[in-house]
This record gives sequence, C-alpha cells and structure tokens, in this order.
Amino acid sequence: MSDRPAPSQDAMIFLDGVSKHYPGQAKAAVSELSMEIKRGEFVVLVGPSGCGKTTTLRMINRLVEPTRGRIFIDGKDVTHADVDSLRRGIGYVIQQIGLLPHLTIADNIALVPKMLGMKRTDRRRRAEELLELVGLDPAVHVGRYPKQLSGGQQQRVGVARALAADPPVMLMDEPFGAVDPIVREKLQMEFLRLQASIRKTIVMVTHDIDEALRLGDRIAIFGPGSRLAQFDTPLAILSNPADDFVRDFIGSGAPVRRLSLLKVSDVLASFPSDMPSLANAIEVDAGETVHRALELVLASGAEGIEVGGAGGTSRYLDLQSLLTAAAQPTKVLS
Amino acid sequence: MKLIAYMTDNADLLVFLTEQHIELVLVSVGISAVIGIGLALLTQSTPRLRHGLLSLTGTLLTIPSFALFALMIPLMGLGVAPTIVALAVYGIFPILRNTVTGIEGVDPAVVEAARGLGMSPGRRMRTVVLPLAWPVILNGIRTATIMLVATAAIGAVVHGPGLGQEIFRGLERIGGANAIEEALSGVIGVIFVALVLDLLFIAIAKITALRGLNVR
Amino acid sequence: MSTAAVEEVPAPGTRRSTTWVLPLVVLILLGAVWAYVHSLRMDSIEARSLAAEVVLTALWQHVQLVVASTLLTIAIGVPLGVLLTRPRTRRAGAVVLAAANASQAVPSIGVLVVLAMVFGVGFWMAVVALVLYALLPVLRNTMVGIRQVDPALIDAGRGMGMSPTEVLCTIELPLAVPVMLAGIRVALILNVGVATLAAFTNAGGLGSVISSGISLDRMPVLIVGSALTMALALTVDWLAGLAERVLRPRGI
Repeated sequence: MSDRPAPSQDAMIFLDGVSKHYPGQAKAAVSELSMEIKRGEFVVLVGPSGCGKTTTLRMINRLVEPTRGRIFIDGKDVTHADVDSLRRGIGYVIQQIGLLPHLTIADNIALVPKMLGMKRTDRRRRAEELLELVGLDPAVHVGRYPKQLSGGQQQRVGVARALAADPPVMLMDEPFGAVDPIVREKLQMEFLRLQASIRKTIVMVTHDIDEALRLGDRIAIFGPGSRLAQFDTPLAILSNPADDFVRDFIGSGAPVRRLSLLKVSDVLASFPSDMPSLANAIEVDAGETVHRALELVLASGAEGIEVGGAGGTSRYLDLQSLLTAAAQPTKVLS
Repeated sequence: MKLIAYMTDNADLLVFLTEQHIELVLVSVGISAVIGIGLALLTQSTPRLRHGLLSLTGTLLTIPSFALFALMIPLMGLGVAPTIVALAVYGIFPILRNTVTGIEGVDPAVVEAARGLGMSPGRRMRTVVLPLAWPVILNGIRTATIMLVATAAIGAVVHGPGLGQEIFRGLERIGGANAIEEALSGVIGVIFVALVLDLLFIAIAKITALRGLNVR
Repeated sequence: MSTAAVEEVPAPGTRRSTTWVLPLVVLILLGAVWAYVHSLRMDSIEARSLAAEVVLTALWQHVQLVVASTLLTIAIGVPLGVLLTRPRTRRAGAVVLAAANASQAVPSIGVLVVLAMVFGVGFWMAVVALVLYALLPVLRNTMVGIRQVDPALIDAGRGMGMSPTEVLCTIELPLAVPVMLAGIRVALILNVGVATLAAFTNAGGLGSVISSGISLDRMPVLIVGSALTMALALTVDWLAGLAERVLRPRGI
C-alpha cells in the first residue's frame, strides 16, 4: 500500500491509475489514468467523442465502476465505499437535465436533501434559496412542473438540484449542450459568477474547446485512445500545445483566443516599469483582458494604453509592444 | 393422444370450418377496411367529426361481443350475415385509427412539395399521401384481422360459421365423449388461423413496401 | 372482444375528452330498456326471466366477476411486470413479452371452455380464466411503461445517489403510471366482455340473461340482457376513463 501514490493535501479528487474495460471490447475505454484535481478547482475534460472523457467523469461517482485503479475524494479512498452515500455527496448535472417531470421544481431540487433526511420545511427553504442562487424567482417557480420551464430554466434547476445538499464536488456532463448557443453563453457566464461565490470543486465534460477555454481553471485534453494529451491552464495550453493533436484540437486562431485569456497586468509584467509615456493613450484597467484593451485602442485610434497604478503612477504601453507581448507565449508565462 | 386421433378423424370437418373461419374474417375485415379507410378520407377536412367517429368506434369496441352478436338476432336472425355485420363493426376502429395516424404522419413538406408540382388534392392523396401512409394503414388492418379471428369464435352463438362451432359443440356436451377434444381443436384451429393470416399480412407488407423507404 | 385494438398508444385525438357523453348514452339506453320492458305484454317465461331479482342478481354476479378478476389481474400483473424489467430478468422479460403478444390470438371463449372442462365450472374458475386472459395487457403495459422511461432520468437518479429501489419507486413507477393505467383499463373492459361468456360455464353474470333469451327464444329477454351488458360496459369504460385522468401524475 505504502508505495502507491497518495493524494496531496489540497487534492479534492484523485484518480490513481484508473482503467475501464468494457466486456467484449478489445480496447480499454480509459486506461491507467491518473489525475489530481485540487479543492475549489474547475477542471474541464475535453476531447473528441469516444476519447473516454465521459467514462472518466462517471468513474468519479462510480456510475461506471473502474476495472482497475483507485479513486480518492477529499483524501478518502472511495473505490469500494457505499455508492449511494458517495453519490449523495457529489452534485451531478447531465446534458439531458433529467428533471423528474412528475415532481414540482421544489420537489426536484429537494430530492437529495430528502434522501439525507432533511425536514420538509427546511427542504422547502433550501429549494427557494437555491432557486434564488441560480437566478430564478422562487415565488414563481417552486410549484411549477419542469415542462412549464424553458430549456435554459430547466438546466438552472438542474444545477440547483445538484447543489441542494451543498456537496463539495460537482460533476457536470455537457451541462450546457442541450440549449441554444445564445442561452448557452448566458448560462456559462452565470455559472462562472456562481462558481466564484460557491467555490466548488467541479469536473465538467464537454466536446467544445471554446467552452472549455472559457470556463476551466485547468483543462484536460483527451486524445484518441483515452490518452491524456495535456492537462494545464487554458493559457498554457494555447501558448504551448503539448503536441500536434492538441494543436489541431484547439484549432486555428489560438493566438487571437489567447488575447481574451491574457490580462493586461500579465503583459505589463514582462516590460520594464519605466516605459516612455504616450501623449495619446487610452486608460485601461490592469485586470482587463488584452483583447478588450486592443479593442479600445483600435476603436479610439490611440497610440497605446495607460494603466493607472498605485499612488498615481501610470504605466504606458504602445500598441506594438502590446501585440508583441501578447504574441510571445513563453515570455509572458515565465 | 386422443386429441390427435380426434383431429385426424375429423380432418374434413376441421378443414372446412377453418376455411369458413378465414372467409368469414376476411369478408368482415374487408367491410371494416372500406368503412374505416373511407371514413378517414371523408373526414379529411372535418377534424372534429373525425375525432367524434374515432371516439364512437372506439367505444363500440368496448361492447362485449356476446351482447352485440345476440342483439343481431332480433335484427337479422341467425347465421352468416349477422356474424359478419357484428365483426365488421369491431374491425372499424383499428383501421380508422391507423389510417388517420398514417395520413397525419406523412411529412407535410412532402405534401407541400406535391402541391407545388401542381397536383390536385385527389391526385396528392392517391400518389403521395396514401402510399406513404400505407404501412401504418396495413398494420391497422392486420390488427383488426387478428382481433376478429378470435372474436369470430363467439359468432357461433348466433349460429355463425367457423371454428367457434367446434368450441360450442364441446361446451354443449361438457363431460361427454370427445367434448374436450372438440373444444381444444376449435381453439387450436383459431390460433392456427391467426398465425396464417398474420403471416399473410407480413407477406403483403413485404410485397407492397415502397422500395424507396427501405433502401439503404 | 380482443386486446389488440384498444391497447396501443392512442393516436392523437382519440383520447375521449367529453366526459358527459358516455353517461348520457348509458342513461338513454337504460331509459329505453325500462320503457321497452314496460310496453311489453310479457308471457310467464319472459316475466320470470326478467324479474327484477333475477336481472339484478345477474348484474351483481357480473360486477363481482369483473371486480375480483381485475383486482387479481393487477395484483399479479403489476409486480410480475416490474420483476421482468429488472436488469437480471430483462432477457426473460423479452421472452414473456413475445409469448404474451402471441397469446392474443387465443379466443377468450376457448380459454373459458377448456379451463372449465379441465378444472370444473363456477365463479372462481371463471375468475381464473378472466385473469389469464386479461393478464396480458396489464403485464405488457407495466413492462412497456417502465421501459419507456427516459434512461437519462434513471441516470440522474442513480447519479444523485438513489438506490435501485428508490429509482423504481420515485422515477420508474410514477412515470409508468399512465401506460399502466391504460393497460388496466383494457383489462377491465376485457373482463366485462369475457365475463358475459362466463354464463356458459355456470358462473352467472349478465351473459346468463342473454343466453336464456337465446335458448328460450324470447327476444325481449335477449334484448334486455344485451342492453344491460352494453350499459355496464360503457359505464365501466367511463369510470375507468375518469380514474385514469385522476390517477395520472401531474406534470406529465
């Protein structure tokens, strides 16, 4: 036992060499995968279909039982723990949403609290709280049935239901896949805001690299044959793709996409603090993305940007330097 | 076994009754089909009437067959005719329902395209809608047929033709010699007829299938 | 009567929505029978066959046959159907379903007569025959109802930590209810119909009024028997429709 790797202190989910062989299939769906996901981290599993990302996700709450390997949640080996109580402690959101059509919204949200023995009035209050949290008016929605809600509203309820028992971990299987693109983007943004306040450990599966780049703290890109091609931050993946597969998968336009992940402050860090001041500069916040900064410069016809620093000292960066810095991944990252 | 001995001894009679049974069912289903498909076509533009007819014929189906057969006696006496009428009444609903479902299931875009080609309503129905709805309609006729094969056995109470006579003859002489063989051979015969007609419909479905719907 | 036509999922527009039509028809039918009987000058045979006591006894026997057989059918068909959809028995379930479908071709009168010959006659033997015959729609609809439940819902339930029993009770069964109810309704209607044939095996019921009308060659007896049978069948169908509407879970 002692020679096997153990999860580190701040690991919330730790997969230790898990494999899944389905009977009758020559190739493993997932083979010898090890992964550590930290507390409060939002990790997105992404890859082409059949790469094993969904199988990996479903092994975490053991909807798929691993053939080999161990799974740790919050430092505890749960590979052989009681599945039902394991799952009650893990939020689960799926693409088909899976609200029970014969139960009201409130009852749907309260399913897990009910199984955990929460009292009726408390469940009701919890449901209302959660509806509020996901941006639905409790007064309007508690007594409704799922069919009376739009797809976007249903998925918000799906998220509320997963959060009902306040689980430290949430698993999401293409949660925004079933809604149209406009609603999807809105839900993604809302969810990011929500995550900023609740700080759950989240593992999400998607096949959409843009969604992954937008949402993930770290992204695990699965290649064919369930190979973990790269597991890193979005910026690092865009800047330094591990191999040709990753490069192909993120597709063209990686440099441009990076611009919306880079902060102005990141770029400034790679320049000396005494850059010459510019007469015609547009003021930009240090926390703004480079993408936004460029947009402002181009729209206003300014020479560059001016970033207000502490104590009234401003730093300047001309357009050319901004572009050069943004285009040099390694330099920025170091 | 006594049953086999009985059946071989009375083979002529059983074959005759089986033929009668098949004829009875096919004639009744034919009438049901004309009425059922006809009603579906006639109510094309009157959906409320169509709905009403579906409810009505569906409700007729809940009437116990013994009661309906018996009621035919004061109206039409005993024999073949009342049996056929009662059976035809039962057969309408599945055929009407499937015809309606089949017609409504035809892709509106295809009908619209036919309109665009300048087909008249009658021509559209004949060359586009009915051929596309045919598998569903045929299945309704098949359902009706299998149902009537079993129901026809009860027609013997109004002295209707067919294998029901064997069952009732056995019933009348309950406890007597060969009673159980008579009843059993009637039941087996009915099941056999159902099987044969079911195969017949599978064959018809194969033969009349539109090639374009099945090519890969 | 046979199962084939009524049991399939109703086509759009076939769900009977006007609840007052059927009871009205039944009332008119009963009124017509009453007027008809009172307009007759009955001979002694007719008077004896149509005495209120005789007819009501037959009606009561009929209701008993239907209630007993339907309850038994549900008590056997539903648990069996549930059992046959569990993962371990899925294969057996497919076989049973195929066999059950094939058994549609068996004539009800045949089941009744052959059972009577082998096991004897009387009320409970008739009930056994009715249950055997009506089991198919209940069994089949229970299985179909459970199988048609969206697998995503079951996945969601398992994913939130429901045990298989909890999944069955909170997801599968409630969502199967509409289909199961439709099957039970078909069984009920079948039982009303086949119970008329129970007269042939000495189990009483309204069929005995009809058959005595036939054998005595007294049309009024036959007509009253048939009309009452129809009235009973329509009433039962109406009640079943109401029950279906009330028992269907909301939100579906």
